[in-house]
Amino acid sequence: MLARVLAWVAAALIGGALGVASAWAALEFGRASFMERYGAWTHSRAAGSAAADPYTRAVIAREGLLALSAREALYFNLNEDEHGRPLSEACVYELTGRPLEARWWSVTLYARDNFLARNNDHAAAIDATRIRYGGDRLWRARIAPVRGEAAHWLSSRNTHSDFSLTLRVYHPRHAFAPSQAALPALTTLSCAGDAP
Amino acid sequence: MRGWGKYVWGALAIAVLAHLAVIHATPRMLTGIAITRLGEAGFNQWRLAPRITETARTIVRPAPDFAYSACAYDLRDGPIRLRVSAWKDYWSLSLYAANSDNYFVLHDREVHGDGDLILVRAGRAAPDGDARVAYSPSRRGVALIRRLAPSVAAYNGAAAAAQADICATLTEH
Repeated sequence: MLARVLAWVAAALIGGALGVASAWAALEFGRASFMERYGAWTHSRAAGSAAADPYTRAVIAREGLLALSAREALYFNLNEDEHGRPLSEACVYELTGRPLEARWWSVTLYARDNFLARNNDHAAAIDATRIRYGGDRLWRARIAPVRGEAAHWLSSRNTHSDFSLTLRVYHPRHAFAPSQAALPALTTLSCAGDAP
Repeated sequence: MRGWGKYVWGALAIAVLAHLAVIHATPRMLTGIAITRLGEAGFNQWRLAPRITETARTIVRPAPDFAYSACAYDLRDGPIRLRVSAWKDYWSLSLYAANSDNYFVLHDREVHGDGDLILVRAGRAAPDGDARVAYSPSRRGVALIRRLAPSVAAYNGAAAAAQADICATLTEH
């Protein structure tokens, strides 16, 4: 009798652990399957939607609680560089973009904990109201721990480990079609430890 | 070996149930935490967040270009009135249910001047009148105002405008 009870307790514990672990794995590693990819940018059109399936809803709640619906805003996240490597404080990047068919947009840098990096640089975001375009109709922003001579800067100082970018596109116009070419492009300029 | 089958199947059944429970509970739990944090000062009242800086730790991935006002609402005592006072640039009022769903959005280009709304629990009758009405799928939830304010000066202006916002039980107004 005791052996049966212990066996059921063990089965319940193992089952519960398996269930929790598989759910965690689904949310942690499976989020890519809920996302659309445009180059290295990821996007979920279900963000904030009442029609989102339970998995997408759970992923969105973890990564973007209180996000707006796609009718209002589109969110694109960038977690890796053009070579598929995690974005790193040890590297200097350039983000280049063209005008977006939207009422307003911004790019914000987040530390791994999904909050602004604790660096007091006041350089966590760039946005459409402050950006200046070059003669080639492109804007350029430096992503690095220090500003240098850059006109626009996103500070990665004190992110310590991986960081990420979020592009917010508010009131996208009908002409707005997400694509790798339309979204800002990230280029790695250098990384600490690179061979000269 | 056959004697172990029922335990294996039992463990698998529990694993499936636990998996689904975690998936379904995650957004409700996270939204519940947000509702609790936002409602610490009381339900059905706007709370203007300080300008988003590196110290902001209430909601993940905050946008530093916005002035946020949040109201953790509770429809226990009936419908509530929401008012967003006009702002010179983009603003939106978005409503979130207890499961994190964004079930309603109103923005500046859909209204002239202030944004007014009566919030009613789904399945309940709306008050008489021609006011704009939204139905909340859950008793509790979050109302969130975003005012585009990318600079300190703009944030201060948004903060001044936010003083006239209303989130209160209908009987109070």
